[in-house]
Amino acid sequence: MTEVSCRDPNLVMRLARLGSIHQSRLSFMRILTRRMAREGWRFEQTAFNVDDQGVGHAVYSAHGPERAYSLIAYAHDLPAEKRSDRVIAEAWDATFTLFDGIPTEADIERLSHNIPVQEAGRVNGTELSVSRANRSVRLWEHVVSSLAAGTQPDAEQINAVGYLMRTTAVYGSGKLGAADREMIADRPEFRVPFQVEMLSVYLTRWFVRDLVQHMANARATAQGGSAATLDPELARSMGIGNSTGLGMAPFLLNHPVLFSNWVAARETALQRVRSLATASAEEKAVFAEMFQRGCASVAEWHSEHPVQIEKLAALQADIDLIAAKLEDEGLAEANPWNSLYNWAEQTLTVEGQEWLASLMLEPYGHLVDELEQEMAADNTATFRIAGAMTVARLREVLQEVYGWALDTDWALPANKARAWYVSEEKLEPRLGERFEEPIEEYEQPLAPGRDATQLYQALAHWPAQTPVAEFLLRHPEHRHSVRRAQIANRAPYAEIRDNTISQNVLPIDMLRCKLAFFGATHFDPRSDRWVRICMYGNAPYPEELSSRDGDFWIYPEVQES
Amino acid sequence: MTHSLNEIEAMSKRAARGAGLPWGLAEEAAKGTRWLSAFSFPGIEMLEGLLTLNDRLPAVDFSPATLNGSWSAPAGRMSPLIAGAAMSDCAVRMEAGQVIEMENVSFPLLVVPFAAGAALRLCVPVSVSWEGARLTTDGQRLCVQGEREAIQARHAAQLSCAAPAEMTGQSEPVMRAEVDETAWAKLGEFAHRTYAPATESSRLLGAGAGLNDND
Repeated sequence: MTEVSCRDPNLVMRLARLGSIHQSRLSFMRILTRRMAREGWRFEQTAFNVDDQGVGHAVYSAHGPERAYSLIAYAHDLPAEKRSDRVIAEAWDATFTLFDGIPTEADIERLSHNIPVQEAGRVNGTELSVSRANRSVRLWEHVVSSLAAGTQPDAEQINAVGYLMRTTAVYGSGKLGAADREMIADRPEFRVPFQVEMLSVYLTRWFVRDLVQHMANARATAQGGSAATLDPELARSMGIGNSTGLGMAPFLLNHPVLFSNWVAARETALQRVRSLATASAEEKAVFAEMFQRGCASVAEWHSEHPVQIEKLAALQADIDLIAAKLEDEGLAEANPWNSLYNWAEQTLTVEGQEWLASLMLEPYGHLVDELEQEMAADNTATFRIAGAMTVARLREVLQEVYGWALDTDWALPANKARAWYVSEEKLEPRLGERFEEPIEEYEQPLAPGRDATQLYQALAHWPAQTPVAEFLLRHPEHRHSVRRAQIANRAPYAEIRDNTISQNVLPIDMLRCKLAFFGATHFDPRSDRWVRICMYGNAPYPEELSSRDGDFWIYPEVQES
Repeated sequence: MTHSLNEIEAMSKRAARGAGLPWGLAEEAAKGTRWLSAFSFPGIEMLEGLLTLNDRLPAVDFSPATLNGSWSAPAGRMSPLIAGAAMSDCAVRMEAGQVIEMENVSFPLLVVPFAAGAALRLCVPVSVSWEGARLTTDGQRLCVQGEREAIQARHAAQLSCAAPAEMTGQSEPVMRAEVDETAWAKLGEFAHRTYAPATESSRLLGAGAGLNDND
């Protein structure tokens, strides 16, 4: 057994690395599908009242061991000019809620006035999420017209897009009046974070397959023919897209304990695997298979964004290096994973290192999967400030956690060129130019490094043994930063150890990090501040969950050549 | 129509910030209002009353001048958020048997959520008492003694916090909150001050122009 510790937060919590993280056994989609497959969840479509114009509603229920949940989907006929992925949109192709239980006709009627208008509506404690989706115009029309003509859609066109609809927001945790997480967090199926949202999207994918078939059938009938049924393999290759903008970026900063728990789970998993003295033939075989399948997934990953094109080329080169190493030397007999990881850290780009780190966990469900239970957070205890901490100790903590920030010249405009603010319009979070726009007075506390540096400077002339409570009485403006520092002191991965307001910051790094923990793949940045991804591509549909793999689906199956 | 506790917390934080509180205290106001709402108290109305009373006035005027002896504020009335936060910060003093005394506290009920935080830290119940009211909490549950009018008073001449206290008859939190619509709208006005007016360029640049989002 080698002594391997968890990776240093100063290495892990840099934006460039967080923005290179990949899904793993501990991502929320896979945790959900593993559970549903293991527990034998039962699924049924209980309503599909959609007309030939694609307007109406449908209900899909998922029955777990103790409770049932239902996706209520409302389908709309959306004029092209109203279709936008932006939060400021006011109409969508389809809107959804995940209902706690089985809805009555009265529930469906009540929600039909609220779900289609999203933020302009109100829901209550029986609704667990509210979401919406837009069609991929190019792929939707191709699939409908192909099927209506009696032929299958083209696999290459499907592959190029990856989904028929993309969600543009999935709201949970009490938004718009929905149930608070506390109402459901003690249910085993929802103990892991974001399981409500992941279940909602999983059922959405089923609805979308049914809807596209329905529309193709309607068109074929109108043309006097009959439509082809979408090939199950093609259907399975499609996921649900998601378009995510800046709204998600502040999340990681606003939930430091939760974020630390996610990262700590993955880091602990990596530490456990790297500590193994040997690997069995079976474990090596699982790794080799997932390596091949992982390569296939990367080959299907497209982006037009210059940053991502460069990262993809680098990842491809890294994969070639890994393949050559495995071919030439195979895995080391002693400490195979630590040896491979250390080689990767010396040889590969950050993107390649993180891809390999996630892949190394694959053979070790028995060591890794239990860590999913550690990923939730109860903030109650950590929220309170320990006022008895001395000024001297607080200074030490600041030096440990914010060393990078204390070394940053915050007088330099480039280091604080941006400011996070909330716009009046639908309360959309935005990132502006501090020195060019009138936004500074609206700035949100999303620059922990700069704020910690100000705190450090304000403490400079205070006596070492003074309790922090005395300092805060005079300086309530530093209360936020003192709290963060104390949280980061207890939760090692709580703080992003990088500059979130520099002129070079790429908000997509934060988005990608969160989405990778969801289990997303094929990140496709569309600018420096919004990104498209695919969820559940290649996943079994509900009726296939018992007969197909509920876990490794994330890696596409490759044909033996 | 009920509200989720998350909505209450989000609104309270923005409103407190809009009324001029530093972010750290706005966070305390939000957690406290959420906590009171979960026990069916009119947390939103109390917060609205306090923010209106001290709207954009300097926090230091309503802070304890010193943490020694009986706490009092230079302006003659003390903010329950600032005093409550200081009490929570000094929770260890109560462990040693010291009673924390305060004078002229506005909206004293808003101090009680901080006692919950202190109780969690000390692992013993903490009580908060003022004229005609005594509330005791172990952090999770609440024991209420007193008439509604006293509990929801706008001002308490004397207030004391002590631990360990005894819990008799206790209530558990509920997960939904009834909200006074007038107070909610007023908080919305405070919150609105924190939003930057939208401009055409911020609409494009601030959210990230890029490739077509509709394909």
